[in-house]
Amino acid sequence: MTQLDDQPSGPDALAQALTQPFTPGMRDNPASLAEYDDEVAGPAPVSLPDPRTREFVEEWRNASYNCFSSGHKFCREVCPVMQVTRNESWTPTAFHANVVAMEKGELEIADVAADYVNCTQCGACELRCPNTLFTGDFYRFRTRTVDVVKAVRALAVDSGIHQPQWQTWNRRTDERTHEPVLGETDISQEHVRDWADGLDLPIGGETILFVDCEAAFYRTAVPRAVAQILQQAGVEFGLMGEQWCCGGPAAEMGYVDQAKRFARHNLDNWRATGTRRVLVLDPHDYISFTEDYPKYFGEEFDIEVVLVVELVADLIREGRLTPSVPVERTITYHDPCRLNKRKGIWQQPREVLRSIPGLTFHDVDRVTQWSYCSGGGGGLPVEKPELTAAISANRIEKAKTLEVDTLVSACPWSERPLSEAGDGEDIDVVDIHEILAQSLGIEVGGSRGEVGDRRSGCGGGSCGGAGGCGGGEGSAS
Amino acid sequence: MTVAAERPGERPWERLSPEQVDGVVERLRGILRDDQVLTSKTDRYNRARVPAPFPVHRWHERVPDLAVLPESTEEVAAVVRLAHELRVPVVPRDGGTGLTDGAVPLRGGIVVDVKRMNKIHELDLDNRTVTVGTGISMLKLNEELARHGLIYPDDPASYPCSLVGGRIGTSGWSLIGSRYGHTRDLVLSFDHVLPTGEVLHVGDGIGGKVSKSSSGYQLKHLFMGHQGTLGIATRATLKLYPKPEAELSPFWAFDDYDDAYRCVGALARAGVATFAGAVLFDEHKVAYLRRDDEAYIPQPNDVRALVCAVMYGYDDEVRPAGRRLFRIAREHGARYLGDEISEGDWAARHDRYATPLHGRTKDGQVVPMSWHCEDAAVSYTHLPAVTRAWHEIIADLRRRTDVFDDWGMFAYTSADTGVDYLTEIDVGIWEQHLDDKAWAMWVEAKREIAATALRHGASISACHGSCREGEVDLVPQELGRGFEVMLDIKRTLDPHHIMNPGKYHLDLAYGGDLGAALDELRQR
Ligand SMILES: Cc1cc2nc3c(=O)[nH]c(=O)nc-3n(C[C@H](O)[C@H](O)[C@H](O)COP(=O)(O)OP(=O)(O)OC[C@H]3O[C@@H](n4cnc5c(N)ncnc54)[C@H](O)[C@@H]3O)c2cc1C
Ligand code: SF4
Ligand code: SF4
Repeated sequence: MTQLDDQPSGPDALAQALTQPFTPGMRDNPASLAEYDDEVAGPAPVSLPDPRTREFVEEWRNASYNCFSSGHKFCREVCPVMQVTRNESWTPTAFHANVVAMEKGELEIADVAADYVNCTQCGACELRCPNTLFTGDFYRFRTRTVDVVKAVRALAVDSGIHQPQWQTWNRRTDERTHEPVLGETDISQEHVRDWADGLDLPIGGETILFVDCEAAFYRTAVPRAVAQILQQAGVEFGLMGEQWCCGGPAAEMGYVDQAKRFARHNLDNWRATGTRRVLVLDPHDYISFTEDYPKYFGEEFDIEVVLVVELVADLIREGRLTPSVPVERTITYHDPCRLNKRKGIWQQPREVLRSIPGLTFHDVDRVTQWSYCSGGGGGLPVEKPELTAAISANRIEKAKTLEVDTLVSACPWSERPLSEAGDGEDIDVVDIHEILAQSLGIEVGGSRGEVGDRRSGCGGGSCGGAGGCGGGEGSAS
Repeated sequence: MTVAAERPGERPWERLSPEQVDGVVERLRGILRDDQVLTSKTDRYNRARVPAPFPVHRWHERVPDLAVLPESTEEVAAVVRLAHELRVPVVPRDGGTGLTDGAVPLRGGIVVDVKRMNKIHELDLDNRTVTVGTGISMLKLNEELARHGLIYPDDPASYPCSLVGGRIGTSGWSLIGSRYGHTRDLVLSFDHVLPTGEVLHVGDGIGGKVSKSSSGYQLKHLFMGHQGTLGIATRATLKLYPKPEAELSPFWAFDDYDDAYRCVGALARAGVATFAGAVLFDEHKVAYLRRDDEAYIPQPNDVRALVCAVMYGYDDEVRPAGRRLFRIAREHGARYLGDEISEGDWAARHDRYATPLHGRTKDGQVVPMSWHCEDAAVSYTHLPAVTRAWHEIIADLRRRTDVFDDWGMFAYTSADTGVDYLTEIDVGIWEQHLDDKAWAMWVEAKREIAATALRHGASISACHGSCREGEVDLVPQELGRGFEVMLDIKRTLDPHHIMNPGKYHLDLAYGGDLGAALDELRQR
């Protein structure tokens, strides 16, 4: 039939140029392809009265059009919020479409702000999106739902539109330099290192361990486990001189100025103690330090950021840590969204778990876990705890079908809601560092949170662990 | 805004006033919890669209007055009863992925969004059925079924996003339908809420778990593919199969379309029992894939058309079947593209071909385009002629503007004998530039595309339905006297015309000069 290289020439060239199959942009295409006049002018642009909104849509409309123009919702069933609400207004598709509607003057920030609460910023939709999977990298134009959600939240705050719980949360964080993770009980700077009581850790130094608010004040078994694991391996590190919240949660909820102030403080404080390297145990902090801080500070940010679970996997591989105390549990691993979906880190935690003797490990692959989430991220539990609880219940249900007694996570923010959901199903939720510490013969101490402490106080019930979970022994402290 | 109302025989209609909407909401709150009644602007704007391109500046025309999220058949029935009583339009919506605007509200009213009805109610391993709420996704259902070694093989390209209710509402088409049948074959029976709010169980005869009955009229077909104009399916019993042990999906290259066309016909006619489908990629499709598809960019220039055949079954069935199809392909001058492309491309069948970044102006500039998919059912012998004619229609559009782009054509077998093919031309449409003039050009082109199909004895749509602007004008011609039967049925089942009004020229069932209107439409 047709020959690709048959080039029409002469007066009919223009009429014929399009009768052959061709790939636009190729060098050997007929020249006449560029000669057509376009009959279509395109719709008149809409002028938006609000300058902030105008600036916002200019920055984000192209990212959102990439979704809007497909609108095929391939991402719907992986979205953890969508799974529990089944409400199309709270889907990645809607989050992009609203931006297009704002560009057209159909919707305003006041119309849309509250919808954007319903996202944990887990990143699943971006991975599942065919635009990312198939051409995104080719054109450097992968789907950016998380950034769009953050940007809309920031526009809302800048426009004076606040979600009541977020506003209070961030005000209290601002007053106390840490998130109010203990509810009514106020948190204070003096207590930020209490979790490390008796561990004899220096302050400052070239390498410091950064401990997120939830772990520092609530699930203290996690940082205790981490610190003691690192001590056992002979890793030298200190604690921060004056640690503030990383600012990530504020950034996630749209309080960007506050987030930047907190980031500034932390960076200055690292400088003051000669710190060059920050060890991070919490995936949320890891995102702040590897994505937000470089964005805020550009070249100035020259701090090396190390994720503890990756470091620990190295230490095990190098033989500097050898888990040898058997831990008799049947577990599955929860891929924290910010590691698996946002950072592509899923291998090292599995390596760590496989090195622990005694464990029966029913693994679920990382791609299946794109649709899993604890619901604990993106400020969702602050504004809509009922959705977080439902998402965690969903996650626990998946674990339950594997007939495990323990769900291991690597994210302190996931562990509170997951523990609460797991309690009803008799599934223990343990941090990967806690369980590793146990296998290294470490008496962890600290608290595994309300549910964790109560469960390990059971004296070895159905878990059969005789207080064997990482923090059980020290729950009285 | 009332384009439809200006057509002959159709009565004008009015939107509900804000007071009327408030009244409806108040009554709905007596039926549903507050979180099931959605009235905000974003709730409504995000239930006004489907993926098919439409001028963005006209989005607001299609916004419903409110949406509800029922959780049971009883709730759906109560909502529809109320709408029937108050004469309020009702638009069923499930995945919202339909490509003929079925789930788009043309006259405001209540969107009944059934996505919350996504439970698995019963898995019957002995009769090999599963009973589900119609808001469930096939993907999620199959995740559960996999634990029992079973599969529900309704496999549209929209597998990750379309839902069972929308499959029923459109009478969908499945990529592997040549082996397992299409939605109509796979759905055994379902509970259905009629436009009056009465509930009917529909299937072959008594319905339930019966796959073939001769009792009474065959109503199951009637209540599938009606695009929500005859009511709402709420709970469906589906046929299940063993999860196939083996999959074989060879891709072959050809020097030209004609060879590929002859080959696909021979493969489909071979009568191999594990044959699940064959796909023909025409020369425009291959040129299109060369834009940015890493599998096709490096292919030599003499790769101009492709054929893929797919087999599912047990290993000891698929292997010999594969050998037979390979032999047939070789006899037709096929060159095997290798295991990697074959397996990878078939695995990517749902995701690969509909991303906006493939869009190009004629001279090669990348612009984000939406995907429009024409999907006629064409018998084998008419494929080449329809293919040529459709490309010419799109070429004409491209001569006039870069708003439109030709993304090539696929022809997929629908049946196990090779009688007809879902014949798909993929058209890129630059929605950001789609003004009223471009839209008018497009609607006219759609009429021409549909008319071309009819001239070749084809049906306008193999999977999506044919109620989108343009094509819909040809439906009375396609169905002939059958269209008047449609009108009679519609009037009988939906006396107040509340179910998805504005679709399929069904307004003609409710007054005006029917004869004149039909004459005009049939002369197109
Ligand atoms: C990328 C992509 C690929 C596609 N590939 C295919 C394909 O291969 N094969 C194919 O057949 N289609 C395909 N489609 C089209 C679309 O997915 C199908 O038409 C699908 O059946 C629609 O299902 P849905 O759940 O999205 O329904 P919706 O779009 O929500 O609704 C479709 C129609 O059904 C009605 N409806 C919705 N729910 C119900 C109900 N419970 N009872 C009665 N009526 C109802 C609606 O009013 C509407 O008229 C594709 C679409 C996309 C975006
Ligand atoms: S985010 Fe991607 S998968 Fe989801 S609707 Fe948009 S384009 Fe489709
Ligand atoms: S980031 Fe996660 S929660 Fe947010 S829209 Fe995407 S999938 Fe849903």
